[in-house]
Amino acid sequence: MSNESLLLLALAIPFLGSLVAALLPTNARNLEAWLAGAIALTEVGVLSLFYTSVADGGVVRAEWAWLPEAGLSFILRLDGFAWVFALLVSGIGGLVFLYARYYMSPEDPVPRFFSFLLAFMGCMLGIVLSGNLIQMVFFWEMTSFFSFLLIAYWQHDAAARAGARLALMVTAAGGLCLFGGVIVLGYIVGSYDLDKVLAAGITVRASPLYLPALILILLGAFTKSAQFPFQFWLPRAMAAPTPVSAYLHSATMVKAGIFLLVRLWPVLSGTESWLWIVGTTGLITFVLGAFLAMFQNDLKGVLAYSTISHLGLTTLLLGMDSPLATVAAIFHLMNHATFKASLFMAVGIIDHETGTRDIRKLSGLYHFMPVTATLAMVAAAAMAGVPLLNGFLSKEMFFAETIEIHDGSFLDTLLPYFATLAAAFSVAYSLRFIREVFFGPPPTNLPHTPEEPPHWMRLPIEILVVVCLVVGIVPGITIGPFLDVAVASVLGASAPKFNLAVWHGFTLPFLMSVVALAGGVGVYALLKRFNLNALKLPWLSRGEQVPSDVIGVAARALMRIFGTRQLQPQLRTLVCVAFIAGLLPLVGEALMPVNPRLTPIDLAFAFVWIIGTVCAVATAYQAKFHRLAALIFMSGAGLATCITFIYLSAPDLALTQLLVEIVTTVLILLGLRWLPKRDEGLLKTDSSMLMRRYVDLTLAIVVGAGLAFVAFAVMTREHPETTIAQYFLSRSYTDGGGHNVVNVILVDFRGFDTMGEITVLCIVALSVFALLRRFRPAPESIGAPEQKRIQEAFDIEHPDRRPGETIADYLRIPSVIMRLLFPVIGTLGIYLFLRGHDFPGGGFVAGLTLAVAIILQYMGGGAAWVEDRIRVFPLRWMAVGFAFALAAGTGAWLFGYPFLTSMMTDVHVPLIGDVHLSSVLLFDLGVLAIVLGATVLVLIALAHQSIRTHRKPKPAVLTEEAA
Amino acid sequence: MNELINHLAIAPILLPLATAALMVALGERRRNIKATIAVISTLVTIIFAVTLLNFANSQPPGSAESISVYLLANWPAPFGIVLVVDRLSALMLTLAGVVTFAGLLFSIARWHRVGLHFHALLQFLLAGLNGAFLTGDLFNLFVFFEVLLAASYGLVLHGSGTPRVKAGLHYIAVNLVASTLFLIGASLIYGAAGTLNMADIAARVPGLGDSERMLLEAGAAILGVAFLVKAGMWPLCFWLPGAYAAAVPPVAAVFSIMTKVGVYVILRLWPMVFGVEAGASAYFGGNWLLIGGIVTVAFGAIGLLAAQDLPRLASFNLLVSSGTLLAAIAVGSVGVTGGALFYLVSSTLAVCAFFLLIDLIERGRIPGADVLAVTVEALGDEEEDEKDGADPVGIAIPATMAILGIGFAACALLLAGLPPLTGFIAKFLMMNALFPTDAEAASTTIGPVSWTLLAMLLLSGFAVMIAMMRAGIRVFWVPLESTVPTVRFLEVVPIVALLLISATLTVQAGPVSRYMHATAESLHAPEAYVRGVLSTKRVKPQGQATGEGQATSPAPAKVDGNGNGTGNGNAPERGGQP
Amino acid sequence: MEIILALSIGALTSSGVWLILRSRTYQVLIGLSLLSYAVNLFIFSMGRLRTAAPPILKDGLPETLANHTDPVPQALVLTAIVITFAMTALFLVVLLAARGLARNDHVDGREF
Repeated sequence: MSNESLLLLALAIPFLGSLVAALLPTNARNLEAWLAGAIALTEVGVLSLFYTSVADGGVVRAEWAWLPEAGLSFILRLDGFAWVFALLVSGIGGLVFLYARYYMSPEDPVPRFFSFLLAFMGCMLGIVLSGNLIQMVFFWEMTSFFSFLLIAYWQHDAAARAGARLALMVTAAGGLCLFGGVIVLGYIVGSYDLDKVLAAGITVRASPLYLPALILILLGAFTKSAQFPFQFWLPRAMAAPTPVSAYLHSATMVKAGIFLLVRLWPVLSGTESWLWIVGTTGLITFVLGAFLAMFQNDLKGVLAYSTISHLGLTTLLLGMDSPLATVAAIFHLMNHATFKASLFMAVGIIDHETGTRDIRKLSGLYHFMPVTATLAMVAAAAMAGVPLLNGFLSKEMFFAETIEIHDGSFLDTLLPYFATLAAAFSVAYSLRFIREVFFGPPPTNLPHTPEEPPHWMRLPIEILVVVCLVVGIVPGITIGPFLDVAVASVLGASAPKFNLAVWHGFTLPFLMSVVALAGGVGVYALLKRFNLNALKLPWLSRGEQVPSDVIGVAARALMRIFGTRQLQPQLRTLVCVAFIAGLLPLVGEALMPVNPRLTPIDLAFAFVWIIGTVCAVATAYQAKFHRLAALIFMSGAGLATCITFIYLSAPDLALTQLLVEIVTTVLILLGLRWLPKRDEGLLKTDSSMLMRRYVDLTLAIVVGAGLAFVAFAVMTREHPETTIAQYFLSRSYTDGGGHNVVNVILVDFRGFDTMGEITVLCIVALSVFALLRRFRPAPESIGAPEQKRIQEAFDIEHPDRRPGETIADYLRIPSVIMRLLFPVIGTLGIYLFLRGHDFPGGGFVAGLTLAVAIILQYMGGGAAWVEDRIRVFPLRWMAVGFAFALAAGTGAWLFGYPFLTSMMTDVHVPLIGDVHLSSVLLFDLGVLAIVLGATVLVLIALAHQSIRTHRKPKPAVLTEEAA
Repeated sequence: MNELINHLAIAPILLPLATAALMVALGERRRNIKATIAVISTLVTIIFAVTLLNFANSQPPGSAESISVYLLANWPAPFGIVLVVDRLSALMLTLAGVVTFAGLLFSIARWHRVGLHFHALLQFLLAGLNGAFLTGDLFNLFVFFEVLLAASYGLVLHGSGTPRVKAGLHYIAVNLVASTLFLIGASLIYGAAGTLNMADIAARVPGLGDSERMLLEAGAAILGVAFLVKAGMWPLCFWLPGAYAAAVPPVAAVFSIMTKVGVYVILRLWPMVFGVEAGASAYFGGNWLLIGGIVTVAFGAIGLLAAQDLPRLASFNLLVSSGTLLAAIAVGSVGVTGGALFYLVSSTLAVCAFFLLIDLIERGRIPGADVLAVTVEALGDEEEDEKDGADPVGIAIPATMAILGIGFAACALLLAGLPPLTGFIAKFLMMNALFPTDAEAASTTIGPVSWTLLAMLLLSGFAVMIAMMRAGIRVFWVPLESTVPTVRFLEVVPIVALLLISATLTVQAGPVSRYMHATAESLHAPEAYVRGVLSTKRVKPQGQATGEGQATSPAPAKVDGNGNGTGNGNAPERGGQP
Repeated sequence: MEIILALSIGALTSSGVWLILRSRTYQVLIGLSLLSYAVNLFIFSMGRLRTAAPPILKDGLPETLANHTDPVPQALVLTAIVITFAMTALFLVVLLAARGLARNDHVDGREF
């Protein structure tokens, strides 16, 4: 099996496992554990195969094209450091899986748990094996996501939810920063390929964009590794199940930040800013974490803060940017993983057995669980840096480094003292942990009586502790080779010589260790003496609350300022924006032509528009309270428009406008009945309302003036030299076969527009119909209109009259006339249709005319009367219309011409003779049918509303199937 | 080949139109027949769209063949109306088809029953969308805008009820005013340039006199406002959340493409008319677009955090994506536009899936659960006890909830632009274009615009993530009494399908981004488009392409009637009668 | 003539804008109609004005813009009229429905 596929396998295994795990039954604990464990072991096995290839600083690399254009290829890259880290991830992963098998209660739905854990492991390996920075970010964010799911595994627990939310917010935000940083870094280097980036250290550090890139990347690393000031999410994450904490928050995820720093150390380090930012952050975190750890009463809290502090220590080491310090950092990274993981598991056992993690409640557990206690003590000792344990070695190296002079600054000289102090603190909290949990009087009122856990649950701890010891006693032959491999791959040529002896003689570092140990004991004594654990903790100790509603409330407040849910402000904004948008381009040089072309003013026309203007203003004035009056005035304005079209030689427009005018008016009249009565209460106005009116008035006037000005500016200039209009004029007859250019344009040149326009009509008719089917009038307008009531009352009090007679009489004459008019108007419509191509008219006008004919019957005779006599199937008419229009359009295809190409021919029909057929005619017929259908449908549907409330059975027209 | 493509070009408009007409003929009832027809016809429409996509993709970008022009009624541009198929329109056609199909499938389970003529209106909407994407004529664009708007009005009101009618009223009022602006703008452009064909306008802009140019710019600006209302740019977007949240879920899902129509038109017209060739008016309004986009993203982000129910959350996601697109387009560089196109597809699919998902999630929950959950999260629920002793136990999740949860997570990741789905790729593409890695582009210095957009992309992603996370916790984790929703298989299919598509796009990111990049290139080098449109010749009376004709002919039988009567070569005799 | 037409367009627009900014649905409806008149005239005016020109092609009269009104804006206006008509109908019905459901005719469905 080739290295490439083997690498891919190494990455794929956990994800596959996660998939399988998710599909297993809920109660399959053992199966899940076996699966997960097997996967971890395979992982270790696969990785170990690579030892030979990476041992001598070699690099295994596999590349698949993914987004090559954007420099994002899927690259797997395994060098010594990655190899060691991957081993760490999978090895500790295996132990955690074994542990989790016993930790999780039988009722827990473990499939979810293990599947998340395995997926997380996969993402972690993804980070480690990435040979492309973007790809690394890719997996980086996924670890944040899965850690979120894992922390909130006990989702019904509010603390877990809060912890998970905080963790995701912090780490994912950091991830985004990292994303940006990597983008910038890639820009500097010219590639995201890790090898290229590692090679381009000098260019990067020289680049002007170095600092932004550095800061963004560090933000990513620090958030992930819970460095000050982002440390607060880690303690909150302790709400997670202990296996999760042991895995994510000690060994792997929080180490991802460190991993990144080490990974990019050759590129980014070696500058003032690196030294200061990384170094200072590390130092603060180191001291602060150790200090606060002493005050935790939750065992996991202690471990969390100690983790923070140890991560700080590692960061500080990297910040010193000397090769040896980096060696120490890598070394400590491994050590910390071992002892911290084992400690977490031990705490988990204590929690499991006693039912609490509160130091104040626990004591004297040694008698109940000696083995676990011993293990925990050894691990804690390692954490405190007691000789003969691995923690001691890396701490020694750390001390040795702190003594070195780096930049000789004030802080640098103080560094050893800070280091010793923090070390003393860590001794103190380790001591406190051991002393108060395992010794002292036997515990009282514990939820459970503690006892040794099943051996298999303890096994992982045992293994890790053994590692601590072995490494601590004979480092050279155990951890040595691994460290060499890792260091060689990171530092390459500049890898320093170092010796992992336990005993270097009475050196300064050793002295510091002794001081730290003694000091630690002292500090602990003080704490006990003055019972300092009881005192309230500094705010830093608790991750500060991020109550979910604060954001929401603030956002809603902002929304009230920058948004609205009312219509008027929206339209106001829209009009303003449109006006400004139209105005801005026009400011500048003069717009008016020097010698405007003006047609002589006709007084009659002026008069028409004086009336028109009056009507318009009157409409605006009346529309609120006198709807009918407003409607009449509006029609006045409409008529003025109509006359204008006639004046300006556009008869088609005039005709159409007129008919549309009529139908619209009828429509609105039908609607008026459902609107509320005039409400005097609306007359009252307050100042703000008046203010708004003035604003609107100004706006209206300004906009009107603007549009008028633009229209004038256009009208008074000559046509553009070449306008498409000329083409239509000259081709209308010769090619379009019609004298009426406008109509030819509508049905031929731009027939597709007409197609769309009739579609709109049809759609609207359908929508109106559907909406009216669900029409619920307001209760006060359900009753019959006033006039009708009076008439009926009149019938009742006159015994000689049949009820409803007055109503019948009252429209008798008009209805007779309307009936007589029906054929006349119908004929007119057909006439208009047929002459359309050569004279004003056409399908649309004809359709409207016919619609008017029908609606007149409705007005005269009433819906019932009409529908008893003529069958009205608007829907079918529309369908037929579409059929005609489409047929007329697609006919051209038969001859290889595009849609809507007009076809004409003279076919000889017996008796009648030659008949001139044109697809245009068919198309226009379609238009007619649709217009007729749509208009009638709308009008009738509206008209029927008044009957519906009275008549129970549905009107014939509203149910097609009835017919 | 080209002949076939030419007739295919109009098929995506005619087929839905014919289907809709057929449904009108079918009357009100017979929903199942209609549904079946609708499904088939939509599928065929998608097939057409994909065919066009492949055709467009097969041609080298920038070449004359890269676009195919369809002269309606056989009149040459700029006089007649033309349909133009290029990479962009083909892409949008496919997207529209997919989204509509998802909504359609989903609606069949229950929603198409709550009102009349649902399927007809949906087909009309599809026809309108496809028309808007295909047409190359400004006024015809207006007509198709009205077609799709009219259909959308009907669909927003589908099912009636107070909230829908109220929201519908606002939606319609605002868009009617916008349409008025469209008319003013378009006619002003005609008055100034004397043409309506987009390509012709672009061709004429450089030669315009100063005052004509001013008028044309004014027209374009007013037109732009109309489009930006559709695209939902702040402060023209207040109608959007209400309308989308009130509409029935499948409709809202289909509407996820509606905002993109506005974006599409800007993508189509802005680089073409106001590109570098436009001389004095080059990059006209670009800064406004940029600022507007950024502000819209900010507004959308705030709205996300303020949203108290899922539908509004989804709507504000739409605003964020629109803003991102507008800002990205305004940068006016090929790379960023390419990334933006990728983002357009990704976010549209995601929001569509999200709207559908919301419906399923909401079913199981007590009314007002969201607000309740907020308070629970804020104040912590009382029965949260110190869990000493009894060691905690996780809650087993029913399969349905698990599926919904995974779907929700996927949507969240997509919208927030987090890995592993397309959202991440899309954002990466845009960032990579802002901070290019390839050698020749790397010489370009990084200006404030790049930094601003980088920050915008990252911050908006963060805001979306927080909002979605809070919503997810509220919906899935806060212990409130809620039943497991009853979900029909047919309702899960479209959601899963949409998410699978984004997954595929992630894996196939290479070729997809190549397509997008080529699209962006041709958008920023419109000469090919302009030349192609203006140089297309009319069909001359020969070459009986009958075969292809019938292939897409909705009603061949009808024409056969007088077909043999007219067959002998005397077909459209232009100037037949002297 | 131009000045008159321009002024009338202005008057119609102002009244229309004023009305669509009002709080009663009926006012908005009427306002939109007035606006549509204004817009139709505006579109028409984009083709410049011709008085006393033959409405249709006459034999012998050269078919140039000098002798005829620009037909393109007319075609556009016709389409616009139809669409506006449809939209007016729709908006009318919507406002009726809104009034019926919300019990009042305020554009936001509730009095302030």
